[in-house]
Amino acid sequence: MARRRGAVRRPGAQRLIPLGAVAAGVLVIAAIVLILWRGRAPSDQAIVGADDSAAAIGQVATGPARDAEGVFARLGAMWDAAGRVRALEAENRDLRSWRDMAQRLAERNARFEALLRMPPDAFGAGADLTRSIAAQVVLDSGGPFTRTLVANAGAEHGVRVGFIAVNENGLVGRVVSVGRRSSRILMLDDYNSRVPVMGAASRVRALAAGQSSRPPELLTQPTAPIGPRLEYMEQDLRDGERVITSGDGGVYPRGLTVGYAHRLASGEWRLTPSAAQSPIDFVRIAPYDGLETPEREGVVADPGPPVRRPAALASAPEAPRRATATPAAPRDAPPSLAAAPEASDAPPSPPATEPPPPSALQAPPQ
Amino acid sequence: MTGVLAPGARLGMRRILGAVVAIIGVVIPALPLGPLTAQPPFPLVALWAAYGWASEAPSTWRTPLFLFALGVLHDQMAGGPYGVFAALYVFAFFVGLFANRMMSAPNLLAVWGGFAATCAATSALAAFIALAAYGRNASALAFMETAAITALLFPLARPLYMPSAIGPQRAGAAEWR
Repeated sequence: MARRRGAVRRPGAQRLIPLGAVAAGVLVIAAIVLILWRGRAPSDQAIVGADDSAAAIGQVATGPARDAEGVFARLGAMWDAAGRVRALEAENRDLRSWRDMAQRLAERNARFEALLRMPPDAFGAGADLTRSIAAQVVLDSGGPFTRTLVANAGAEHGVRVGFIAVNENGLVGRVVSVGRRSSRILMLDDYNSRVPVMGAASRVRALAAGQSSRPPELLTQPTAPIGPRLEYMEQDLRDGERVITSGDGGVYPRGLTVGYAHRLASGEWRLTPSAAQSPIDFVRIAPYDGLETPEREGVVADPGPPVRRPAALASAPEAPRRATATPAAPRDAPPSLAAAPEASDAPPSPPATEPPPPSALQAPPQ
Repeated sequence: MTGVLAPGARLGMRRILGAVVAIIGVVIPALPLGPLTAQPPFPLVALWAAYGWASEAPSTWRTPLFLFALGVLHDQMAGGPYGVFAALYVFAFFVGLFANRMMSAPNLLAVWGGFAATCAATSALAAFIALAAYGRNASALAFMETAAITALLFPLARPLYMPSAIGPQRAGAAEWR
């Protein structure tokens, strides 16, 4: 039987293309097909399932290193104990004066809020920190593309997708996938992280956009209007001011410390995440369901008492009355709530109350 | 250790040590041990292995398969999707085969240049893959920076993956003729 020529290679004959190149080409194509087929799914069951095993290994692997870290920290502290005591005593004296001033300001602020009947703006308003779950970070993403953490608390501990993660310094991120005993947290500086924030003092809204290896960018105008130009009082963040979550979008609660705003020489704003001031070892994972809008709550709104119309107006036709009557705004209403004329060509009248001067928006004097 | 890295040392032992270093390079940055372990070249140590093994053993299918598995491990650590680092590591091996053929002079500059070219080609692929895998917000800039630093430090890793006694082309160049 004749044999095919191509099937037999003489001993000593050299391949035109090495076998390794053929195998590498096939595997590269297979990997790209795998990427396109699976896509980017944080809840990919294969990855989530393997996270549990990886978290267990990471916990074991980091144990000795954490112990060694403690030893070195203790040795370092012993080296200059007397100097540290002196520095801490001096710092303590300074902090006492700051504490007295903070207490005075807090009492004053509480009186103002009671006067205005403001709802409480507590730490992370809307987040249920009483049911938070403490977890240890056992794995980092370890790559130049993503910034995620794996914590050793999962579905068995009550963690769900969407829970927020904080540490003692501020917001760390958000849970994007949950395994049985592990959960993956998308950090603030991941490329796909977008957190609505605002300046704690200036109240200017911005979007913290993750940049992976660089500090997140603060986009003060993420959707700049292209059409009609809107004139407004120019406001900007303040260099060094604390940045907190604004609660917009309902993904994060309002009022969580995110970091500090810094302006670069190019004019761009960057965020220094406060959670990353020290290595993130432990996190608190707290449930947050977001605030329900009235439309989604499905509760029929109270229409209020019936409007008693004067007899003279009751018989008047509807259209002329709407054209002339302008409902008066309550005296205490903010300018934006002051009613504007609905169908009139006349220029809008000035608001009933003057907007506060810019100086009133600044931080209280220290 | 020095004996293993010596030019005349057993090939098997050196490859095992190289594989262990590559695995550690993938795992160590994923452990929360502080910022030091996340610095380059740790995240891309596997590129050294890919290039070195491409020069030593271009005609084996085990090396690209090992690199593929190493990439899948890296993808798992990074939270997915599977295939990103697998494609990059195997592609580095693939480019390394050609770079070793082009950089035929058996001196450090040629080998170093070949690795730099491999890193550049891998970074170009990373730029495309990042968009497909992580969305349009992703950027390969951090990967490029890490790859550049890994390329700068390559002479330190050469004794482990490419013994200085042999040129990059000796082991495999005959198979290309």
